[in-house]
Amino acid sequence: MRRLAAFLLVLPLPLAAQAGGEGQAAPTGGAAMAVVPAGSYTPLYAMEEGQVRVASFRMDRYPVTRGEFAAFVAAQPRWRRAAVPPVFAAGRYLGDWRSDLDPGGDLRAPVTGVSWFAARAYCGWAGKRLPTSDEWEFAARADETRSDASGDPAHSRRILELQNRRKRTPPAVGSIFRNRHGIHDMHGLVWEWVSDFNTVTAADDSRGGDRTDGALYCAAGADGATDREDYAAFLRYAFRSSLKGNSVSSALGFRCAADL
Amino acid sequence: MNPKKPTFLLLLMMATLLALGACAPSDPPTIEGEPAVTFAAAAGGENGAEECEHHAGHDDAGLPADEPAAFSVYHAASVWTDQDGERRPLDSLAGRIQVVGMVYTSCGDACPRMLVDMKRIEGELANGLQDRVGFVLVTLDPERDTPERLAEYAQGARLTGDRWTLLHGDPGDILELAALLGVQYRRLADGEFVHSNLLTVLDAEGQVVHRQVGLGADPTPTLDVIRALTD
Repeated sequence: MRRLAAFLLVLPLPLAAQAGGEGQAAPTGGAAMAVVPAGSYTPLYAMEEGQVRVASFRMDRYPVTRGEFAAFVAAQPRWRRAAVPPVFAAGRYLGDWRSDLDPGGDLRAPVTGVSWFAARAYCGWAGKRLPTSDEWEFAARADETRSDASGDPAHSRRILELQNRRKRTPPAVGSIFRNRHGIHDMHGLVWEWVSDFNTVTAADDSRGGDRTDGALYCAAGADGATDREDYAAFLRYAFRSSLKGNSVSSALGFRCAADL
Repeated sequence: MNPKKPTFLLLLMMATLLALGACAPSDPPTIEGEPAVTFAAAAGGENGAEECEHHAGHDDAGLPADEPAAFSVYHAASVWTDQDGERRPLDSLAGRIQVVGMVYTSCGDACPRMLVDMKRIEGELANGLQDRVGFVLVTLDPERDTPERLAEYAQGARLTGDRWTLLHGDPGDILELAALLGVQYRRLADGEFVHSNLLTVLDAEGQVVHRQVGLGADPTPTLDVIRALTD
């Protein structure tokens, strides 16, 4: 009987995912991803072209958990703590794990202490990929009811509060609000890797230029903040720009995305 | 220039400090990075020249003989196509010091200057050393920089002989190599690319031992590193 009830609970999920409606997706299987409809947005850095078009894509409803990452390293020995070369993951990679294969702690908590290379390998292993920063930021503008709450000062304050209340040891995934797309934990659980963390977000327009700092870049968009109020987004861009591909942090996890 | 930009940069720099420290009181994310490398910036740059002890590869004892050194970029399993149309794994560059730049050949201004910088390094190496150093241009723009286009470019810029390698690859592999080398880039809507003007020196095992930052930078520190490696 209990098994039947579970079955009935699970059954409507793919439909719910399509419609962005209610559902209690487990972080495995197709229903573990939500569809984010296409749209345009202006990233924090204003590019010459202004708005950026984001094609519709699928995104994990939850960050990847310790339990899920344990299954990955069990299947992929080269990503175990003892085996991974430091060029791919700095020394404290999975530093809070009990052993190479045993995460210990709450298996439902988001995995942290993973490098970009490892996060990327995980998503590839799962048949997915990391989201781009545009995809991540586009999806992260949503609150429970609006797909874009970013212009609302109350929303910005809420995001900052969530950020400030962040726990040193993150609780289980699903503990932060579920947004209109059906995606949880975008704010205040962990920072998250994106595929293009090493994108250029601040640069001089030096294509014809002879400015001193122009020497750093071949060509550039005219960058500037489009929304000064969005301080939380500033923090995310700044944090990403401070990372190397092999960086690890106890506050940095990831989730995967996929094309439709 | 966008007048808003200095403010943006300032905020971004402040935000970086905050993000790394004070602003995440519940859990300041401590980040571990990569091994120290020598680092030279163009004169006038903010970065200044910073010499660090090179200690990459100190803990690779006990690895199988065919395993790359701990900090070798040749751990990447990517496979590329060179200007001769040959398929070659990244680690086919091993065995030689390599000076690597990531560029795109339709770049109007800065990329030819990066090439000038590379040729200057090549020119200043004594004849005996030139054969021990390779020069690699990796395209950021695989759509337009086909292997054929790279061959034309090499011809036009007289990048001949086996000293020069021009590589075309998959976007994901380009992104991975950029992350390994610390190259930042972004494709703009008009098809141009913003990218770091960064030359990386890899030792024969593929470890990043030096970075030359900026166009027209003094090549002396780079040359010193190469000469030290070939002593």
